[in-house]
Amino acid sequence: MNSGFVVRPATPRDFEAVERLAEQALPGVFSLPADPVRLSRKIESSLSSLSADVSYPGEEDYFFVLEDLATGEVIGCAGIQATCGYRKPFYSFRHETFIHASPGLNISNKIHVLALSHDLGESSLLRSFQVASPFLNTAAAELLSLSRLLFVANHPTRFSNRLIAEIVGISDAAGQSPFWEAVGLHFYGMDYQEAERLHADDDRAYLAELLPHYPLYVNLLPDAAQHAIGQVHPGATRPYEILLEQGFEPERYVDVYDAGPTLAAEQHQIRAIRNSDLCRVHVTESPAVGNTCLLVANLSVSDFRVVLLGARTCKDGAVMLSQQEANALGCKSGDFVRISPVKQVAS
Amino acid sequence: MIIRPVAATDLDALMNLAKSAGSGLTTLPADEARLSSRIRWAQKTFAREVERADADYLFVLEDDEGQVVGITGLAGAVGLREPWYNYRIGMTLSASPKHGIYRPNQTLSLANDLCGLSEVCSLFLHPEQRKGTNGRLLSLSRLVFLAEFRELFSDKIIAEMRGVSDENGSSPFWEGLGKQFFTMPFAQADYLTGIGNKSFVAELMPRFPIYTSMLPPSATECIGVVHPNTRPALRLLETEGFAHRGYVDIFDGGPVVECETAHIRAVRDSQPLILAVGTPSDTAVPWLIHNRKLAQCRITCDHAHVAAGTLVVTSQTAQRLCLKAGDQVRAVPLYRPTIGDIRP
Repeated sequence: MNSGFVVRPATPRDFEAVERLAEQALPGVFSLPADPVRLSRKIESSLSSLSADVSYPGEEDYFFVLEDLATGEVIGCAGIQATCGYRKPFYSFRHETFIHASPGLNISNKIHVLALSHDLGESSLLRSFQVASPFLNTAAAELLSLSRLLFVANHPTRFSNRLIAEIVGISDAAGQSPFWEAVGLHFYGMDYQEAERLHADDDRAYLAELLPHYPLYVNLLPDAAQHAIGQVHPGATRPYEILLEQGFEPERYVDVYDAGPTLAAEQHQIRAIRNSDLCRVHVTESPAVGNTCLLVANLSVSDFRVVLLGARTCKDGAVMLSQQEANALGCKSGDFVRISPVKQVAS
Repeated sequence: MIIRPVAATDLDALMNLAKSAGSGLTTLPADEARLSSRIRWAQKTFAREVERADADYLFVLEDDEGQVVGITGLAGAVGLREPWYNYRIGMTLSASPKHGIYRPNQTLSLANDLCGLSEVCSLFLHPEQRKGTNGRLLSLSRLVFLAEFRELFSDKIIAEMRGVSDENGSSPFWEGLGKQFFTMPFAQADYLTGIGNKSFVAELMPRFPIYTSMLPPSATECIGVVHPNTRPALRLLETEGFAHRGYVDIFDGGPVVECETAHIRAVRDSQPLILAVGTPSDTAVPWLIHNRKLAQCRITCDHAHVAAGTLVVTSQTAQRLCLKAGDQVRAVPLYRPTIGDIRP
């Protein structure tokens, strides 16, 4: 059943499939540009990150794909960048509140501002998440998103203690973002899509320098822009909810371009990491059926693999796998794997 | 017509004037207690009993029948007792030559920069008297007074000009900016500042600079723009050397104009002269004439001419100034001479 999918590192052979996925990305997803040069560079950089000996988070950028084992097709991709502000600024708007009170006039106003901030620059960034639409609402999408968290659990020192994810904010049918229209437009002088094209370039980080450096008063923005703050694009609710379920929270940060929420969590707060454990593999012809779904990840770096198993029981500190499943994970009886129970999900 | 210091007996006349002014003239609200207290302060000021921080030189314009038809004021210093706020217009630039991006964005920053400066203020002329040289006399009298008593004022003088508002007293600048922070109508905020309650400005106003590109166009169009009725008053000060240098009112966005005291035409060109009573010649032009007195100050304007170090005026003018021939006056032509006026 659910064992029909595996997450593994992207390789150059996945290029065409990834390019097709990139073409389906929502407006504003700068981390998955439908640009051949940048995409192949992304795959190369992931491969070298996976083969590097890393003891603290730096420039590494990991990129995984979701493969349908039945067809061999790549139907999703997702990545994690070790340090989002590595050598390039990573700005967010931080939502701050002030009380402007006049005791004499008996007025007390709560004032909201958005202040450009580099607070999140040291965080590790979950990004480049894209699943072919038929699979978006299946357990495979969850497997893809959570596989990154198990990679973090395996190699915590490769990442920052804080993981974040920028969720795409709202835009209209024409791809225009109301927040951009009210804010970014004045500082870039170009529409959202044009800005997106510029950003597809590696210049994104430097272009952030054009943004307003004084805090913005939310009450002065047009209504449409105010309503966009912290709102999730309808097409991004699935990745948003997967991470919320894991304990990520929309803190006080939003994206500087479309005001979509930035989710954040510390490693130890993340369910898939906190509830994960190491155990041995026991390959058997008929694995016993239990009542918990399990994510199972091998401990390899360069050949990292994760599968999602249906209800499965662990016996004597070992997880029972069929030969097929063991093959998908590239492991044999006696190997250690990391398992993490997940609640029963749609299949 | 004469300009003289306000007197206690002027209260009723000032109340009537204030009622005809409407909103926008924040320094002359129709509030009897406030007005009578202002008159008392002005009397102390002319008696040299107050410090510059509290000095309020309030003058009235009186016709020959003793009717008060206008008011005009000069504050020793603004913002020395409590903060004085303006927005300072600034600019930020977002530029990336590589991408052909060059975006200037105007900003408004809350500033106390003008604290300590003397201010010409409270000018109001009864609508029926807006004719002839009355407006000019009312406005420029303060400048010739400044020229006489330089030590009582700062080296730079400011004037806040009334900004744009509609017939209901609603200001587009206020609607777009202030109202979002004050949650009260413009007229109320205007009134509160008029009666001297400015602390709420600091309590409620935005403390970070504002990008004006995020305000509604109706509000940005009013930044640094005067109310149509105030245009003549602005033009008058401009011909005296005042200029808008980037400060605007925080409520209605009207411009603050400023000038170095020494560069104000009526200060620079005014001169002490001996009064002579006679018949001004055919070539006489209108002069602004001050009797060089503080508490007994009288300022008027009339045709006069200079002859052998004396200013020749009619006996009626001398009478209005409470002077006689041989007394000293400070005088300046009421109009700035144009090229054609300069004769050998």
